Amino acid sequence: MKAYSVQEVDAFLRSLQSDYDVRVPVIRLDGTRNLGAPDDGPLALAGGVILNKVTSVFFPHIEVVLTQNGRQFTEAPPPPKPLLVVGLTAQDADCLEFIDKFFASDYPDSVYLRRRASSVAVCVSGRCGADGAFLPIAGGKCDLELICDGESYLLAAYSDAGKALLNKAEGGKDVPDACIAELQMESDALPTDELEMIQEASELLQQDKVPDEFWQSVSDRCIACTSCNLTCPSCTCFDMFDRQAADGEFERWRLWDSCQLDGFMREASGHNPMGHEKIRTRRRIHHRLAADVLKWGHITCYLCGRCDEVCPAGIGMKAVCREMVEQYGSK
Amino acid sequence: MKKVLTTCPYCGTGCCFYLVVGDDGRLVGVEPSHEHPVAKGRMCVKGWNAFHFVNHPDRLTEPWIRKNGKLQPASWDEALDVVATRLAEIQAKHGNDAAAFFSSAKMTNEENYVMMKLARAVFKTNNVDHCARLCHSSTVVGLAGAFGSGAMTNSISCVEEADCILVTGSNTTEQHPLIGTRIIRNVKDRGAKLIVADNRKIRLARFADLHIRWKNGTDVAFLNGIMNVIISEGLEDKEFVATRTENFEGLKKTVAEYTPEKAASICGITPQEIIDVARMFAKAKKAMIIYSMGITQHTHGVENVRSCANLVLLTGNLGRPGTGVNPLRGQNNVQGACDMGALANVFTGYQSVTDAAAREKFEKAWGVENLPGNVGLTITTAINAAADGELKALYVAGENPMMSDPDQNHVRKALENLEFLVVQDIFPTPTSEFADVVLPAASYAEKDGTFTSTERRVQRVRKAIEPVGQSRGDWEIFCEVAKRAGYSGMSYSNASEIMDEIASVTPIYGGISFDRIDKVGLQWPCPAKDHPGTPVLHVGKFTRGLGLFSPAEYKPSVELPDEEYPFVLSTGRCYFHFHTGTMTRRSRTLSREERFPYIEISPADAKALGIRDRQQVSVATRRGELECMARVTDVAMDGVLFMPFHFEEAPANLLTINALDPVAKIPEYKVCAARIRRSL
Repeated sequence: MKAYSVQEVDAFLRSLQSDYDVRVPVIRLDGTRNLGAPDDGPLALAGGVILNKVTSVFFPHIEVVLTQNGRQFTEAPPPPKPLLVVGLTAQDADCLEFIDKFFASDYPDSVYLRRRASSVAVCVSGRCGADGAFLPIAGGKCDLELICDGESYLLAAYSDAGKALLNKAEGGKDVPDACIAELQMESDALPTDELEMIQEASELLQQDKVPDEFWQSVSDRCIACTSCNLTCPSCTCFDMFDRQAADGEFERWRLWDSCQLDGFMREASGHNPMGHEKIRTRRRIHHRLAADVLKWGHITCYLCGRCDEVCPAGIGMKAVCREMVEQYGSK
Repeated sequence: MKKVLTTCPYCGTGCCFYLVVGDDGRLVGVEPSHEHPVAKGRMCVKGWNAFHFVNHPDRLTEPWIRKNGKLQPASWDEALDVVATRLAEIQAKHGNDAAAFFSSAKMTNEENYVMMKLARAVFKTNNVDHCARLCHSSTVVGLAGAFGSGAMTNSISCVEEADCILVTGSNTTEQHPLIGTRIIRNVKDRGAKLIVADNRKIRLARFADLHIRWKNGTDVAFLNGIMNVIISEGLEDKEFVATRTENFEGLKKTVAEYTPEKAASICGITPQEIIDVARMFAKAKKAMIIYSMGITQHTHGVENVRSCANLVLLTGNLGRPGTGVNPLRGQNNVQGACDMGALANVFTGYQSVTDAAAREKFEKAWGVENLPGNVGLTITTAINAAADGELKALYVAGENPMMSDPDQNHVRKALENLEFLVVQDIFPTPTSEFADVVLPAASYAEKDGTFTSTERRVQRVRKAIEPVGQSRGDWEIFCEVAKRAGYSGMSYSNASEIMDEIASVTPIYGGISFDRIDKVGLQWPCPAKDHPGTPVLHVGKFTRGLGLFSPAEYKPSVELPDEEYPFVLSTGRCYFHFHTGTMTRRSRTLSREERFPYIEISPADAKALGIRDRQQVSVATRRGELECMARVTDVAMDGVLFMPFHFEEAPANLLTINALDPVAKIPEYKVCAARIRRSL
């Protein structure tokens, strides 16, 4: 196994640009870390969760899905190059796996699936989290993984696409295989208290043990900014609308939507079965922790923590679940 | 795809974010700035949608000139020639003050400066103003008189440190969401005391220790009552009053009349409520007032502001973190437009046009002679002058008086009376329908410049995409008009050069330049290149020396309910829309969220009138009548209606009264008499 310096990883990723639309974590003008092209700013592999919706690479904030000109309808063209996305955490890989499943089920979403089809997902893990935290190792959930040993990055390939890319990496120094085993042990030993907490919250919801007044107290604080939904990597809801484009064409767009908005489920009459903020707030949590358990067999919040980071009111998923467990849990 | 750091174009909080530009040159999203000192990676719903109106197909993309009664496409050269020629002709015939210029709180500082310079240096009139006249002109007058500076005394971060916050006339979670949530978190996490004085049951009221539902327009009586209790119980900060203020005896004498019983009877509340507020506010180590339009938009707006200033002076809550009088500015650059002198009485940095030395300074800087020394017409008095036939020409940039000014029929008459109207905007508006020339302007996403936020933070605005169609940056248009009017002193190659000129003539901006605010903005006063900016004003000493107590007497609002019009009508904004709706109603999510004009009415009033939720109602005042949807909600107090002014199809300002504060000339948007009934 080989370990690569940040400079070698940077060079490796840049070398892939001829074949891929490469997106990596970069530091922007004011220090914000988000995804961009390698030339958009210094590479910032370390730092933990990229706080924006990382799956926006495949499911963007807004996009044209269809163009109409006269009687002709044209689906949005596929991306000119396949996407290669670097910087996902293990939780992000779980989110991606879930939304792959979501977009492929029932009514397969051709726009998403086409963009995702030949893409490569690269996770970053190990000793490179925010404030020195250890990021769990993703393993086979991604195509390729950069596992930080504190100084350099071990490259682990899992899929055929990942293995093919790994062969292109130049430089690096040999490290004993025990290194990865040691890092894996460190990953396996990470605390599971948040997972246990959210599972307990899930059980409370499934057993209907959380009363209305709890949701009222949470929704009192919610200002419907929609940040929780718009940064969540496993939120998939979108709205559709048409706009006139140049030369008499019409474009059909889709745009991220939020279940925290009244218009999200309002009927044409104006009546809304989710017309109260209390119900909407409950839905945001209940959907992930109870309804999805019935539909998919598992919770669909992967504890990435983005909604907790960006919520101006302090009522992200973890914060709400923590309150819920403290107030209604058995412990 | 690229991402460009810029400043939000909506409220005055001043959040920065990244605009996401697609490969086809259109905006395709927004991403938060995680390092910005105010936003900290957070955004409100308008921020998340601040990209979506920019590429809307309704954008003005070419100049129009009215020919044979119809607005028709024209070249830029033709349109600019008409503007310069007609303005000059009208001034030659009727005098320089026959023309007026409306600048805009949506434009950058550089653009406001250039428009102010265009009016004063080129067209030699002080008839230049902008919509601060309609929102915080009473703040500028009231706080400048009391402290020597008419801006928010403290920083947004101070909200997190206060031990007691009095929020009055500000629906903070809806209009300044990232300030509103700071209040909630301070209350929940630190146990800060919260007093909400507002008869609407706004979200903050759910967290309030005291929610005072007073009668609209009784602010002075309420605040005087509080100060009466503080003085009679000896709760004032005696040392602060003795060492840092003047005219305490004057205040004491005035408020002595406002016993809790008297004040309470005026306000429609109990004496105990006034006593409780007084004790809670005065006993806090760090107390602050946050206010907005509920204080300012009255015929006694200046006196309301002075009373707020009196209360913090009395309790020594100035010049320290976590304290202060904090007027929240409602627009992205309303603070900056004021700072830039887009006001009828001052040059940049509040240097008075009546001061001969200031005029001489600007004459020298601009290479002109005979700058006018009379105070010009304000937005509100200019509309009155147009209606009276005295004002002949009006150049409106980024404003929409048909929707934003009081008494729409009066505004219509004024605009119809004009001999020449220029409207420069990004979208067609009800105002542009009256224009003789329409000039397409670039949006905030298409130009460089700066905005100044409510906490006096001067921040960068960056060009993310090319101007849509043939539109141009506002400052470029003004410079072209100046050139055609024969003035050669307005030739800039970029916005940074304009800021350098602003800094050279404006002491409070003296140390500000684009290179210094590349990553993080600076808070004025910033008088020198090595000055770090000023987060808290009046530390140790007020700008004017001593803080001045300016006692005020309660005066009733101009038009109170009667038998014929039994309700109080108050107007304002809702969460999902912004001002005259030109941008938010063209943003899919925001527009979907609030589709229809509505009026809030209390459940008891609705029941008495047989009005159901979402039913069409007819609302009338002595100015006009309109139809909209009833929103039956306990947010509204019995006897008081509230209507947002975003909707062209039911413009709330058809109903409002054109009654002005005698000093600040701000309209009384918050109180007029109305009636409501089910639509037939």
